Amino acid sequence: MATLSAMKEASVAPPPGRDQPVPRLTMSGVGKVFGAFTALANIDIAFHAGEVHCLLGENGAGKSTLCNIIYGLHSPSSGAMVCDGVSYAPANPKAALASGVAMVHQHFSLIPELSVLDNLLMGQRFGRLDRRGEAARIVTLAETYGLSLDPHALVADLSVGQRQRVEIVKCLMHNPKILILDEPTAVLLPDEITALLEICRRVADSGSAVVMVTHKLAEIEAIADRVTVLHRGIVAARSDRPAADMDGLVRAMIQRPDATGDDPAGLAQLSTRRHRPSGKAADEVAQLDGISLRDELGIARLQDVTLSIARGEIVGIAGVEGNGQTELGNMLAGLLHASDGRWFVEGQDLSKASPRQITEAGVGIVPEDRHRVGAVDRLSLADNIFLNRMPQYSRFGIIDRRRQVAAASTLAQQFDVRAAGMGVRFGSLSGGNQQKAVLARELTTPNLRFLLAAQPTRGLDVGAVKAVYSLIRDAADTGVGVLLISSELDELLAVADRIVVLYRGQIVGECTTDASNREQIGIWMSGKHT
Amino acid sequence: MSFELLAVFLASTIRLAIPLLFAATGELVSERAGVVNMSVEGMMLAGAFGGAVGAAMTGSPWLGLVFAVLTVLPIALLQSVLTNSLRANQIVTGIGINILVLGMTTLGYRALFGARSREVIPGFDAVPVPGLAQLPVLGPVFTQIWLVWLAFLVAAAVGWMLSRTGLGIVLRGIGDDPEAVAKSGAPVGALRHGAVLFTGVMSALGGAFLSIGDIHTFTEGMTNGAGYLAIVAVIFGNWSLWRTVLACLLFGAATALQFQLPALGIVVPNALLIMLPYLLAFLAVAGLVGRQTAPRALAQPFWK
Amino acid sequence: MNISMSSPSATLARIGPPLLAVLAALTVGLIVIVGMGAALDKALLAFWRGAFGNGYAISASLNRAVSLALVGIGFVIANRAALTNVGGEGQIAMGGIAATALCLFPPIAGLPLGLAFVVPLLGAALAGGAWGGIAGVLRTRSGTNEVIATLLLSFIATWLLYWCVQSEALLRQPMTSSATLPESLPIPEATHVPLLTGSYSSPVTLGLPITIALAAVAALVLARSLFGFRLSAVGLNPVGAARAGINVGGHIVSALFIAGAFGGLAGGLMLQGEQFSLKAGFSSGYGFDGLVVGLLARNSITGVLAGALLFGFMRSGGIAMEMGAGVPSALVSILQGLIVVLIAGVAYFQDRRSVR
Repeated sequence: MATLSAMKEASVAPPPGRDQPVPRLTMSGVGKVFGAFTALANIDIAFHAGEVHCLLGENGAGKSTLCNIIYGLHSPSSGAMVCDGVSYAPANPKAALASGVAMVHQHFSLIPELSVLDNLLMGQRFGRLDRRGEAARIVTLAETYGLSLDPHALVADLSVGQRQRVEIVKCLMHNPKILILDEPTAVLLPDEITALLEICRRVADSGSAVVMVTHKLAEIEAIADRVTVLHRGIVAARSDRPAADMDGLVRAMIQRPDATGDDPAGLAQLSTRRHRPSGKAADEVAQLDGISLRDELGIARLQDVTLSIARGEIVGIAGVEGNGQTELGNMLAGLLHASDGRWFVEGQDLSKASPRQITEAGVGIVPEDRHRVGAVDRLSLADNIFLNRMPQYSRFGIIDRRRQVAAASTLAQQFDVRAAGMGVRFGSLSGGNQQKAVLARELTTPNLRFLLAAQPTRGLDVGAVKAVYSLIRDAADTGVGVLLISSELDELLAVADRIVVLYRGQIVGECTTDASNREQIGIWMSGKHT
Repeated sequence: MSFELLAVFLASTIRLAIPLLFAATGELVSERAGVVNMSVEGMMLAGAFGGAVGAAMTGSPWLGLVFAVLTVLPIALLQSVLTNSLRANQIVTGIGINILVLGMTTLGYRALFGARSREVIPGFDAVPVPGLAQLPVLGPVFTQIWLVWLAFLVAAAVGWMLSRTGLGIVLRGIGDDPEAVAKSGAPVGALRHGAVLFTGVMSALGGAFLSIGDIHTFTEGMTNGAGYLAIVAVIFGNWSLWRTVLACLLFGAATALQFQLPALGIVVPNALLIMLPYLLAFLAVAGLVGRQTAPRALAQPFWK
Repeated sequence: MNISMSSPSATLARIGPPLLAVLAALTVGLIVIVGMGAALDKALLAFWRGAFGNGYAISASLNRAVSLALVGIGFVIANRAALTNVGGEGQIAMGGIAATALCLFPPIAGLPLGLAFVVPLLGAALAGGAWGGIAGVLRTRSGTNEVIATLLLSFIATWLLYWCVQSEALLRQPMTSSATLPESLPIPEATHVPLLTGSYSSPVTLGLPITIALAAVAALVLARSLFGFRLSAVGLNPVGAARAGINVGGHIVSALFIAGAFGGLAGGLMLQGEQFSLKAGFSSGYGFDGLVVGLLARNSITGVLAGALLFGFMRSGGIAMEMGAGVPSALVSILQGLIVVLIAGVAYFQDRRSVR
């Protein structure tokens, strides 16, 4: 453990009349096991009245599982919780709310077609409502915490930040002892973040414990009274002086897998690559030139992204999820078009191209969402292997099944896709075999020059991860330019030649994959450089 | 148009709109909760049949009305179980129920009354509203059977319920995002069942209005698309109560015009007037007249 | 949908429930007949005669089955792209209108080589297809639910047909007296669809082999063709299909156009093979019955043919039963309704099994 300070007095002024911080919720020895996977092990944490307690960690570190246990969405596999001196084991969110635990999820549960007031009153009671009175009460409540809100506005007309405020007010209506916010700032603009942090402080000042999940060190510096760092399901570090312990916290959050003696993907023993990109401008395969993209709400998801990928080069896109990676992937797949800027493959402008034109230009796409974008789960493996190339196996519009299945089975063998037969449903295959099938299709794209692989190893077991890495690397060795988007820094360090960091849709840093750059990358990822 | 004709026109507009208004008010509640009942047609027909049978057997139109509701409730329950519990395709089950009810009422009517058509049965009579019925010119408009005023009353009550009560908020929420509402702890499944049963009761009243309110007889398949028209009124009314009421009155007026225009010597193709409601609704859903916003989860089953 | 699904138990799981539903409904039918006090033997005999009794009965049943099968095939094709076409009734009406207009257009009747009846049939298919295609365009352009659109279009077409036969300016025959019926002139003999036997005593038309051929083509297209494959992909996962370079909107419009064209063709055959003049109430429920047939078939063209035959013979038998044994033919509606409700309900258990 990197930093382990004993719990001392709170660093902020304690609530009036108290000398010692009062724990609102204590978790002791809490663990959670999903099947063979241990999401959390032996967690001891106390959340105190009047404090903002930040949970820090990479994706998959167990932060969300921890929050969900407190909010009654998961029941712990071991350990116990005490809330305000009483044993606490909520069966569901309703019970958690009744005990004074409220949570703002990453994905809002507001109904956009209804007004703010209707959303806030949803399900509270069935009878007549004094709408004017309720509205006034809600506005007063919101103002107590410095929130302004129009109860009669339609949620659909609100910005993401405003919607989040409605979610917070919904929690505050239950007068919570503990307020959990799961990555609340991921969707916010800078000034909205400042406002949110102020609200958190006020809620804490009113005597509640605020639990906030975040990746962003700047926010921790600004607001946290205490920080707990989770890493692979265990507490990796704690601090009650976060501002002073910042370096240690960063190290704890992104510690190297080999430092913990745990290297599931066998990243350390990767073979050296035969081919190395020359880096000469003439060798450029793909260029992104000033790409900006706004989503349907008008929120900027990508801003002025400029990047070039050379023949045989693997460029890694690092970043905390939700910083524009999904949009970048969908744009390169032809499912979204940039609002501004252009992108090229081998000089061909693909900014306005359809998915088919992009494929025809020699671009392979391994999408982030395999089930929604990369395949049709309910079609067979053979059909999915040739999903975009069926005309090759048809004559006069009729598919030659025998030829198609034979070709599919050759490819499946080549790419080590293991299935009971070419006719099995794609959706029934394991994640690893599904991904290998998608790679089999995309890597055999005729005249392949550029490959996008977005989160290609998510949810895969160790063997499959290795296979995916070597397939991507082999493609690069044949001169294909690869853009690898991943939220796993270790993956990027092991596979890529160069890493650029995406933060709020902008490239904020670029470096080689030298392991010594790890901390710098972590700082870029957390937005601390700003 | 002379004033007498105008009064007759208004009175028949209202009379023709009422069955639609009952059924559409019921269907609106159900659609706001995300369930389409194509079976409104069948439920109205069953209501007309039940009302006629009840009134003929007991001699009392009041008991006929009770009978109508009791006839329709099992059908509404069938629709509700199929769509809300078994998550069967809402459109398909509705059409199936319509075929079934058409067969059952025809068979039932033959069995009970023989092949004689147009058996006259006891029904409600038009009653002048004291005071208003004596108004000059508009007087005839206020001589109607009491069910007419009930229809408006129920519509107003439903409008109030949808916009001013907690139940209304939850129902509207269920139609857009049942999962989100379920998170708030409201019993989504039970409320959808309730909404469909309410549609059943309202369709029963609308159907009974046809048989024992309006013309005091039952004929095979007498709803003749009125149930579909009620659904169309909800669509054209853009799932808002007051606009649905207006749509029903408009559709009633279009039907009334078929009888009025020839009297005025105006030649408009009959078919055009009958088609008008469907045409307007079609233009509306095609996005040519304003923007339609159906409940987001309309016709989608809710998986808990 | 799944190419590896044809083991005996899987086949049984597919056709078992519809078969059980039909049996259950028929049992209810028998109980009702007895309950109504009709002599069961007499009723069944009348039903048998009406459905299969002689060449005429069989031909009438087959002609009914043809209309139902065409609408049903169209339904199954659209359903492959996850689209529900409930507009068969209107597509039949549009087919009937177009066929009437073309048949009554003098130069058409004079066409050689059978074109006199082929051209109106093609026109009918086009008109029905356009009617279905409108719903597809709306769905693609403005996201309008195709169920609502096809249903409304259906009513509009029904009343459009009514208008056509009411107005002399359109298709109504010239009014010579107040007794002139509101219907079109009879179409010329040359435009009639030829009878297979050549005799009006067993008037089964060329529509039957046409339908069988189209069914075979449809089955081939759905199972083996690129187009069928793409419809499946669009229906199962539109985003995935788009990524794979498939024109999602185009396939939605085509699917509904084809479904409508089948309905339109049914309308043309009904006019040129049986009714010979356009009257109000022309489509008389065939659109809805065909939808039911398509639905019961659970995406199998063979199933559509089986269902169409079942319903076609049931309708004929029912009508005969009413005339011969006093059992109202409404019984047939009850059976049909029951079958639909039972199968739709049972689908839940089937689908749940196949998803897991």
